[in-house]
Amino acid sequence: MSVLDTIRTAIHSLRANPLRSILSMLGIIIGVAAVVSVVSIGTGGQQQVLANIGQLGSNLITVMPRVPRGTAGRVQQDVRSMFTVAMAEDMERLLPDVINVVPVVTTRGRLVAGGVNVQATLVGVTSPYTEVMNYRVADGRFISEWDVSAQQPVIVLGAELAKDLFEDADPVGQEIIAVVGNRRQVLRVVGVMEPRGQAMGGDLDSQAYLPVSTMMDRIMKTRSVSYFAAQARGSERAAEAVAQVEFFLRRRLGSTDYFRVISQDQILETMSAVTQTLSLMLGGIAGISLVVGGIGIMNIMLVSVTERTREIGIRKALGAKRRTILFQFLVEAVTLSALGGVLGLALGWVGARVIGYIGGWPGVVTAGSVAVALGFSTAVGLFFGIYPAMKASRLDPVQALSFE
Amino acid sequence: MAVMFAAREVRKVYDMGTVQVHALRGVSFEIEQGEMVAIMGPSGSGKSTLMQIMGALDKPTGGAVFLDGEDITTAPDDRLAEIRNRKIGFVFQQFNLLPRLTAVENVELPLMYAGVGRAERRRRAIELLERVGLGHRLHHRPNELSGGQKQRVAIARALANNPAVILADEPTGALDSRTGAEIMALLKELHAQGNTVVIVTHDREIASHAERIIHIRDGLIVEDERLSAGRKKPYTAGDGPSGQGGSGAAS
Ligand SMILES: Nc1ncnc2c1ncn2[C@@H]1O[C@H](COP(=O)(O)OP(=O)(O)OP(=O)(O)O)[C@@H](O)[C@H]1O
Ligand SMILES: [Mg+2]
Repeated sequence: MSVLDTIRTAIHSLRANPLRSILSMLGIIIGVAAVVSVVSIGTGGQQQVLANIGQLGSNLITVMPRVPRGTAGRVQQDVRSMFTVAMAEDMERLLPDVINVVPVVTTRGRLVAGGVNVQATLVGVTSPYTEVMNYRVADGRFISEWDVSAQQPVIVLGAELAKDLFEDADPVGQEIIAVVGNRRQVLRVVGVMEPRGQAMGGDLDSQAYLPVSTMMDRIMKTRSVSYFAAQARGSERAAEAVAQVEFFLRRRLGSTDYFRVISQDQILETMSAVTQTLSLMLGGIAGISLVVGGIGIMNIMLVSVTERTREIGIRKALGAKRRTILFQFLVEAVTLSALGGVLGLALGWVGARVIGYIGGWPGVVTAGSVAVALGFSTAVGLFFGIYPAMKASRLDPVQALSFE
Repeated sequence: MAVMFAAREVRKVYDMGTVQVHALRGVSFEIEQGEMVAIMGPSGSGKSTLMQIMGALDKPTGGAVFLDGEDITTAPDDRLAEIRNRKIGFVFQQFNLLPRLTAVENVELPLMYAGVGRAERRRRAIELLERVGLGHRLHHRPNELSGGQKQRVAIARALANNPAVILADEPTGALDSRTGAEIMALLKELHAQGNTVVIVTHDREIASHAERIIHIRDGLIVEDERLSAGRKKPYTAGDGPSGQGGSGAAS
């Protein structure tokens, strides 16, 4: 009996009971659809994250004070106090591959405009901040060098924040009161930033930007900054820039334990690793549903073998060998699971597109996930089909023929 | 004439745990090529058991059966499947057609297991169905056929691979007497064409169509009766292949 005849016979049997065939495929369909869409979400989400990091700023290097493990508050105080505006100026001046070192001070505060009262993160920066963060002004202007040197009481609003405070009115030129702790400061809005969306390192849109000097001297009364946002001279110089920053800080602070340098490359690497692990985990969970689908197919095939005992007896009486029967039932199981795989793939593709549409990234179904989904579903059919098929092939012809 | 079947001291014991059923207690006989033999006996005498062993569907507990000189009691499973496929044509009381297949597809089954190609298979199946007078029912499913028509499909299927012997277990058992007579006429015609035919029955009337009756009782042969050759008994309905009475065969 030819392979083609076996496949034809198997498909003929499956078509005799279309509803049952579809139902027995359901587990595989759902399993494959889950795998495909989850992997797609993972890949799409990862691309989204990478795009966000790319937006963060060209060749951004973030330098943060770090409290070494096992040290008490005193040391922490000392380290933080060494992160000063002067140090930022030194780095910018001394390090050849580093440009635009922005000292950044952040604090939570309340902004009051007219009757509206909003909690926001206030960020003290210098004028190159927009360049470092790859961030643009929509209306008015950003903090200028003169604002910083003269400690001007000015403020620039993130897009979201501007909307919260002023709704549709033009905020530029309006006055705002910033309340931090028990200090109040009247500020004049000089600009509104372009919307940026949710990005790595916080929601820029709901922050407010002030001259770093105004923040430190007039609002927070502090001498030290939260962190430095620096920029490498070019992406090809990024590694050198990081090395120079590390060298400089080790000299100044005495140890690499007291600071942390995070470059865009590192963030990219970390995030890729995280999203990959996540995809793998979700994919694994979805894979379990494939196995459950396989058990469903096994169940149906076992029922089918029992129901068709007489058919098997007749086929054997007419000359079907054991392996012919085995192969017929195995092909039925594999056809069910492979067809389930194809239908699941279609469903998963639709799911990926829908979720991608909602999440705002392209619903990518990679060739890899297609291959894995189809390969796995076929393997599942083989694995779970073998037992029922063996059972069928081993039936005794006389007993099978007398089966009612 | 060459010996087609040789049974030597065939025994069959069904072990039911507490009791043992001795279905065959040492049966020996020979059937020659071209013979038409009836195996006759009361219910439970072991007729079907014997036929299953002769048809390579089952193995005896003791003794041996030679088909065409080959011991079919020791052959491996795959060889038994081949023997059933090529050398034996079964006709069952309950027809045993596959309900989802059409008449022509049912007849094609043994050809498919013999590895005959699709077109050739179809050609031969149609030819066989025409030979049993069912040329006009090729694409009917079993539930769209009468009992007699079903048995004709089964006979066409039994003939598919030009078997050495046709084994029929109560082929008229599920049919009314007139249709049964038609089926017997068809089997006799096949015999007249040179086929070896073995019919199992408990019915003297049916058995009397054969040339020879092996009487069996309680698992033993009690008599091997030879009827005077040929058409001793006239057909009760129709007269041979051309006159298949009310079966509605197309001419
Ligand atoms: N699978 C089996 N297990 C146990 N006993 C069996 C089995 N098959 C048949 N027998 C017994 O063997 C004996 C012979 O049975 P067999 O079917 O050969 O009789 P038979 O002559 O064909 O009868 P009938 O005319 O009713 O068909 C009976 O006593 C029967 O009960
Ligand atoms: Mg019987």
